[in-house]
Amino acid sequence: MPRPPPSRWLRPRSLIRTCEYACILLCIWSSCLPPGSRARKLSSQAEPSSSELPKPRLDYRNLAENVEFKSHNAFNRKALLPVGALRNVARLYEEQTQLSRDISAKRHSQSTIGDRIRASASQPESKQALLDVARNLKAEIADLESRLKDVQSRLLPLALAIPNDTHPDVPIGPESDAKVIAQHGTTPLPASPSRDHVSVGRALNLLDLEAAATVTGNSWYYLLNEGALLELALVNYALSLAIKHGFTPVTTPDVVRPDIAARCGFQPRDQNISQTYHIAPTVAATDGSAKPHPELVLVGTAEIPLAGLFANKIFTSDDLPRKVVGLGHAFRAEAGARGADARGLYRVHQFTKLELFAVCTQESSEEMMEEMRRLQVEIVEGLGLSFRVLDMPTEELGASAYRKYDMEAWMPGRGSWGEISSTSNCTDYQARRLHIRYRASKPPPSTEASDNATERPVSNVFAHTLNGTAAAVPRLIIALLENGARFDEQGNVVGVDLPVALRPFWLGKNDGSMLRWV
Amino acid sequence: MPRPPPSRWLRPRSLIRTCSRARKLSSQAEPSSSELPKPRLDYRNLAENVEFKSHNAFNRKALLPVGALRNVARLYEEQTQLSRDISAKRHSQSTIGDRIRASASQPESKQALLDVARNLKAEIADLENVPIGPESDAKVLAQHGPTPLPASPSRDHVSVGRALNLLDLEAAATVTGNSWYYLLNEGALLELALVNYALSLAIKHGFTPVTTPDVVRPDIAARCGFQPRDQNISQTYHIAPTVAATDGSAKPHPELVLVGTAEIPLAGLFANKIFTSDDLPRKVVGLGHAFRAEAGARGADARGLYRVHQFTKLELFAVCTQESSEEMMEEMRRLQVEIVEGLGLSFRVLDMPTEELGASAYRKYDMEAWMPGRGSWGEISSTSNCTDYQARRLHIRYRASKPPPSTEASDNATERPVSNVFAHTLNGTAAAVPRLIIALLENGARFDEQGNVVGVDLPVALRPFWLGKNDGSMLRWV
Repeated sequence: MPRPPPSRWLRPRSLIRTCEYACILLCIWSSCLPPGSRARKLSSQAEPSSSELPKPRLDYRNLAENVEFKSHNAFNRKALLPVGALRNVARLYEEQTQLSRDISAKRHSQSTIGDRIRASASQPESKQALLDVARNLKAEIADLESRLKDVQSRLLPLALAIPNDTHPDVPIGPESDAKVIAQHGTTPLPASPSRDHVSVGRALNLLDLEAAATVTGNSWYYLLNEGALLELALVNYALSLAIKHGFTPVTTPDVVRPDIAARCGFQPRDQNISQTYHIAPTVAATDGSAKPHPELVLVGTAEIPLAGLFANKIFTSDDLPRKVVGLGHAFRAEAGARGADARGLYRVHQFTKLELFAVCTQESSEEMMEEMRRLQVEIVEGLGLSFRVLDMPTEELGASAYRKYDMEAWMPGRGSWGEISSTSNCTDYQARRLHIRYRASKPPPSTEASDNATERPVSNVFAHTLNGTAAAVPRLIIALLENGARFDEQGNVVGVDLPVALRPFWLGKNDGSMLRWV
Repeated sequence: MPRPPPSRWLRPRSLIRTCSRARKLSSQAEPSSSELPKPRLDYRNLAENVEFKSHNAFNRKALLPVGALRNVARLYEEQTQLSRDISAKRHSQSTIGDRIRASASQPESKQALLDVARNLKAEIADLENVPIGPESDAKVLAQHGPTPLPASPSRDHVSVGRALNLLDLEAAATVTGNSWYYLLNEGALLELALVNYALSLAIKHGFTPVTTPDVVRPDIAARCGFQPRDQNISQTYHIAPTVAATDGSAKPHPELVLVGTAEIPLAGLFANKIFTSDDLPRKVVGLGHAFRAEAGARGADARGLYRVHQFTKLELFAVCTQESSEEMMEEMRRLQVEIVEGLGLSFRVLDMPTEELGASAYRKYDMEAWMPGRGSWGEISSTSNCTDYQARRLHIRYRASKPPPSTEASDNATERPVSNVFAHTLNGTAAAVPRLIIALLENGARFDEQGNVVGVDLPVALRPFWLGKNDGSMLRWV
């Protein structure tokens, strides 16, 4: 079946992006070492652009056997797939399977031919015929292998673009179809523009947006005085709760190779806008002294370097779950931000974020998601905020999430609920791309009967990964300032009430009437 | 005298870095420059002290073009003369205008304006009592702390860190590249404890806390004096411009760089401000992250945590009056000594020589801690008094809240406005986390009888800021 002409691709840029994505991956992987080989030791040359991880291992058979279901799923999630993507995957997988079989068969013939040639040494005619056959076989195999490689090079990028499956309970539709599954905290305060965090912050000298606009640009900021102390207190507070819940602390690099981000599933949903800051390649010095660095990007979330921490590892199921909490800084170009969203601290280009990340067995990921949710609820309840938990609908899941819970806090100055947290169960989406696996430390029960007969090796399976926000500092600051602002009789801001839970982590002096602990 | 041909400029790149005025843009990209006014330098001072300032620049190994000072003096002379000429001609022009209206028109051409040498920003400062020469000529001003442990490769922070599962360099090499790292477990807690500890001491000494953006316009960094000494190697990561979306929805962002030190956004916080002298000093401590391309790092330096591409740094910054900057430098030094003494480290304070001063520093103190695993002293802190170098470029000024005494007699006669003068700025490291971690691990490592690493001793000063459990034999508080 011929490939549909480019004009039938639903979203021209997805053609660019699919091909671009494919090209990037192909360029990287074609220069890549074969799987399993050691990285070259580099001394004076540039570091390689790719991470040198093996190619992602996707479940093609699953895709090929469920074309309708997965097409429907991709449609519900508004994933930008080329027309007929799933059918093409099935077809290419079929071709791959057939070519592999043919190659196997011919190789088998090739191995027996050698014996027959030796056996017919005394019969020059049949020997010559056999030699001809052998030569033809060699050419045919070479041809088949080249075709196989071609099929694989088209199959992988196409399959990579297919989003993860969706949990059956997830609502279908856009953001407005999110389902509130819980509400916590006190009755929300009435909306009130005087509680706007920007005016409260200015009145109390807690932030400086103007100086940051001069120094860097719009949507950058300084936190001053108690504002800075609030960031640090929130980080310390949330981190201590995460540690109490068994998450081990990690500091992460805020810069990664773009390949790693892609393997985590970071493909912009809205194709026209890029969220990512790229770092320009260093100019090599004329005397050859400056090593150009690999292509690098600033991360939009510590989820990415945390996932990368586990790349290419094989655990035993006793090792799991691995639960870490990462202290990182998120950098987002937010090029599409408009209006009220882009004001103040709500949608900024850099912010501190504490991120939870877990690697677990396939059977335990749903329970792990609930465990993360309980920790996040405890963190936010301790801050005394009104908030709700939402089961996010299909169009909000991105590429990697099987299910996603968002938490929103009531922000009376903004007069709306504002997202403060997000948690995703990515099942094996990231694990297949980053090669995060485990072997069961004992064989599964169903094979125990047969184990007496033969030693069956236990195979490696792909783990499940989850990530969730422990603390997104500016969003929490907005909620705390807008809810905690204190006014005098004339309606002027005179101070702010902060939750006592933060007090043990407060580095400044506790005196003065500006702060009150409630 | 004709301008020297480009091949005689010792620094080609300084020619490229000609100032360009920022255009005001609304729906288009934000302007690349900060839109601050041009730096205001003291040209007369330079022109009247050519010999002295040439000598100073030579001592500091500042890479100036040949004859730079003489050219500054000459161009300043030209500027003065041309300004006079323009005034004269403007006056003529205005009278001509009347005459034109009064009679038949007589076209008068205007003179071409100056081609002033604004390219030339000769960074020169007065120096007193600073050692002359390269890094090896630094003068040890003080030594603090216990007797240094003997050098011992088994104390190497990388092996100690690996043995105790405190850091992961290999995963970071896969995820990002060489000289990046993860801190794990107690390693991560150590970073946070160091930040909390140093910040609380700085606050106690009157520095107000600030969080800073780690990204700035390159113009701001330049105004702080960040010109790479070695032109062949760039320390700075640049952020590639965003590609504008086809539907025009994505606004391209201005040219941006990652900062190598929070000093830069802290200085920027005070840009274009006029204080009263009662407002001063302004003392802030900034929590930021330093990003350095470190393209020239080699050998032992580039190993482990010593020279990494990203690290957390707490930075002190002060704006003060001209008379008080030397005392402020000593005040910063006392705070830094207190921070490091509290960590129980052996360290020394160095008065850095001319070739280490960079463009902006009038005087610089470095502190080095003894790192027995590396078998050498390693820099953990740096403090610079930049006098008015940054203030002139960032327009940080103050007015005396009362007029200076010498004019009081004349004040009875006329109201003389008090003029604004440029402030002095200083910056110093409160805590450079990886360097302190190296020193703590290498000094505090504990071994069993076989020589295996079994734990680490940490200073009790960090204990109140420790978020993890205090149990277990791995950590010991001393």
